[in-house]
Amino acid sequence: MTKLQITEFNCETQTQIIRDATSAEIKQMDLDKANYEAAKAETRAQATAKAALLNRLGITAEEAALLLS
Amino acid sequence: MAKQSFTTGQILTAAQVLSLQQTAMLGGAASAKTASYTLVAADAGAAISMSNASATTITVNTALFAAGDTVQITNLGAGVCTITAGTATVNTSASLALAQYESGTLDFTSTSAAIFIKGAGAAATSGGMTSIATGSLSSNSTVISSITGGYVNLMLFVKDYYASAGDYLNIRFNGDTSTTHMWTTTNTRVTSAVNNAGASGFDSNDGAEGGTGSDSNNFLQMTIFDYTNTNTMKSGDWNWVYNSETGGIRCCSGGIAWKNATPAAITSITLRTAGATTWLGGTYELYGVK
Repeated sequence: MTKLQITEFNCETQTQIIRDATSAEIKQMDLDKANYEAAKAETRAQATAKAALLNRLGITAEEAALLLS
Repeated sequence: MAKQSFTTGQILTAAQVLSLQQTAMLGGAASAKTASYTLVAADAGAAISMSNASATTITVNTALFAAGDTVQITNLGAGVCTITAGTATVNTSASLALAQYESGTLDFTSTSAAIFIKGAGAAATSGGMTSIATGSLSSNSTVISSITGGYVNLMLFVKDYYASAGDYLNIRFNGDTSTTHMWTTTNTRVTSAVNNAGASGFDSNDGAEGGTGSDSNNFLQMTIFDYTNTNTMKSGDWNWVYNSETGGIRCCSGGIAWKNATPAAITSITLRTAGATTWLGGTYELYGVK
């Protein structure tokens, strides 16, 4: 498994290091990933539902936008 | 020449006279340092130079100097040299951090307080932009750390960034992962307002898949106002463009706010992939604006 890493640039010393993520950072990344996947799934579900509705109504997205303007 | 007490009848050596002459010509006795240093009483009137590739400090304590004493400090090294108040108080209208080839003078107003007057080589005190950090995005997350004060605003540019699988850029200040501290209002090209407060960090995304591939030309510019204040929330504006996998080109602009119960100066900015994937490309530039 690829190690999770952090690139850190220090403005005071103008130096950059690449270090392994700490256990707390790995835990946060796991949480971030789960939230991202959930949001992505919701976005895809909404897009699918929208496409299905437009298909049922027999209009395009542009025509739907025109109706709501 | 470092400040000292002369006695009646004392005969000065040639070296002492030369040193006095140097001091009279606003030079001061040279005192070279290569590591962090705490000033001593004998440094009054001296010109201290620091040379170190890494960050160093010059610490100022009380009861060593008298009102009117001065100490000149010059940083020759690549590492920033920061004037640090130990037990004494040090005020300045500029920054206490000396970049390479910058210098300044500690002007003591009492035994316990000094004013640091940034002088030759210092950045302009008003107007202009100073490059603070530049680099390439890499790893799972890129952190710009140890952002110093001394500027009014920060301006961030992130160019040509992309990660795998439609992932997108998310920005955090001071590593704050709260889902209730970041507020953004974004107007997309289709003029629908998206308020993505509730996200942990600022999402440069309006719901479509993030741009993927080196030809995505994703771009973000963010200005953060008054980033060192510790009294209220931070605010700013941002503009971002990305070539979405599913939604085409998105050109968006809006405002941002970071509201924390205990406001702190922004000292780090994290440029992370929202889905914790790895950065495959992109560069960043951070400027201090006066």
